[in-house]
Amino acid sequence: MKLSGIVFLILSWGAIVILTTFCFLKVLSKKELK
Amino acid sequence: MAKNVTQKKRDSWGSRLGIIMAVAGSAIGLGNFLRFPAKAASNGGGAFMIPYFISLLLLGIPLMWIEWTLGRYGGGFEHGTAPGIFHSVWQKNRFIKYFGVIGIFGPLVIFIYYTYIASWTLAYSFFALIGKLKSLPSQTSMQGFLAGFQGVEKNQYFSSIGPAYLFFIITFGINIAVIYYGIKGGIEKLCKIAMPLLFICAIALLIRVLTLGTPNLQQPSWNITNGFGFLWNPDFSALKSAKVWLEAAGQVFFTLSVGIGVILTYASYLSKGDDVVLSGLSAASTNEFAEVILGASIVIPAAFVFFGPVDILNIAKSGVFNLGFVTMPLVLNNLPMVELLGFAWFFLLFLAGITSSVSLAQPAVAFLEDEFSINRKKAVTIFAIASFILCQAAIFFLKNGVVDELDFWGGTFFLVIFATIETILFAWVFGMEPAWDEIHKGADMRVPKIYKFIIKYITPLFLFFILGMWFCQEWLPIIFMRNVLPENKNFVLGTRIGLLLIFIILVMLVKIAWKKKNLNKPL
Repeated sequence: MKLSGIVFLILSWGAIVILTTFCFLKVLSKKELK
Repeated sequence: MAKNVTQKKRDSWGSRLGIIMAVAGSAIGLGNFLRFPAKAASNGGGAFMIPYFISLLLLGIPLMWIEWTLGRYGGGFEHGTAPGIFHSVWQKNRFIKYFGVIGIFGPLVIFIYYTYIASWTLAYSFFALIGKLKSLPSQTSMQGFLAGFQGVEKNQYFSSIGPAYLFFIITFGINIAVIYYGIKGGIEKLCKIAMPLLFICAIALLIRVLTLGTPNLQQPSWNITNGFGFLWNPDFSALKSAKVWLEAAGQVFFTLSVGIGVILTYASYLSKGDDVVLSGLSAASTNEFAEVILGASIVIPAAFVFFGPVDILNIAKSGVFNLGFVTMPLVLNNLPMVELLGFAWFFLLFLAGITSSVSLAQPAVAFLEDEFSINRKKAVTIFAIASFILCQAAIFFLKNGVVDELDFWGGTFFLVIFATIETILFAWVFGMEPAWDEIHKGADMRVPKIYKFIIKYITPLFLFFILGMWFCQEWLPIIFMRNVLPENKNFVLGTRIGLLLIFIILVMLVKIAWKKKNLNKPL
């Protein structure tokens, strides 16, 4: 695996992990359905 | 815009996590684990992620927000499907409701074949568990087993389509039972159990793949690191090809379940003040997690380790079914505890399939409930009888190209058309300013302002572009049946006539429903 492959993997996975974590932390801290 | 009316009691979601799991469950399907890794590997590897993420930001996420918002808006008028939702947005136009028929037609057509495909994964979970797949040592035997099971040929493995039909009945029955219990009691409950289970199966398989190391010591380069390298090493020259950009846009479009009409229906069970911005983004990000992190890390890297860098190129291009039902069981046959791992793989696909198929059933049921005031029990019964009859075509004429034809019209062609219509309706007819306010009603986060511009100009242009490109490059040969075998032409033609009839019946039903409503209006 090339370094560029590792960079793409880390960036892609990182972006998705951050987005998913952000969303679910926010969902769990916010109000329920009305 | 129309005035909101007093609501009669519609079904509703029990919790916020419930609807997020249900939408994510609808989006996460076989494509996340089979289509995405194959597309990425054959279209530039890591470099594929550049057009993929651009498409996600400009096409996928805006469409997700549009559908959540339109769905919730329509639900306020007691409409859970596109004919009513479109009519609520553009009441002055008496034809717009007929365009909304696509939002019932598409999911119904996909349901016809998707349920059958989901039933294969249930059957294969069973075959894996009882050690049947373990006894198939080669690609030829695995392909023969699949063809025999599907009824494409009679061979030493299967003498009839009976076993496939049995698993279809079970899968169909599960679907009907789930929608019978409604949104909260059926779909939400299923997704709250199935989604965590799906992630557990996927993570277990991911850990197994990551710990494969170098199983064949005579081929030291066939190792898991290079397996990931095959998928992730970027080939920047691929970015010069328009095909790669189109493939990425297509993948984003199909993976998020946008353009089908399912999200409209699911969101219609929300209340006016419920958030759609954060919920929509959460469902999309859950889908991306399942696709880019889990889906990309199982089948292709594992196949690389056992088949090597030459064969993997052909495997990646061999099609979704070959990858899932032939290559992956062969890979797992090389590992200890093959029964359990095989079960985990196919059960994972089954969970992904069933959470999608129930979502495909719901628009037709919601249409009958909302527009004809039929109770759920009756609506589900009507849907079950009609869809069961329609499914027979997919089961018995699979080898004649019927499923491919259904997939083209229901799962590809009309999806893009429908997404284009709803985007125009949202951004241009509803109007961007009211639409922006509507998105933010009860929102737990603000959508970045740049999306006002993106939703109004970029997303529709993007859709027109891919619509035009696909129409010229891929769809014309399909429409003119250029690649259909002469002996299958009548079957394909028959499928088209059948689909046209379904479409006409749905248009007539919309006409009748509105006529009835107008008659019942107080003078």
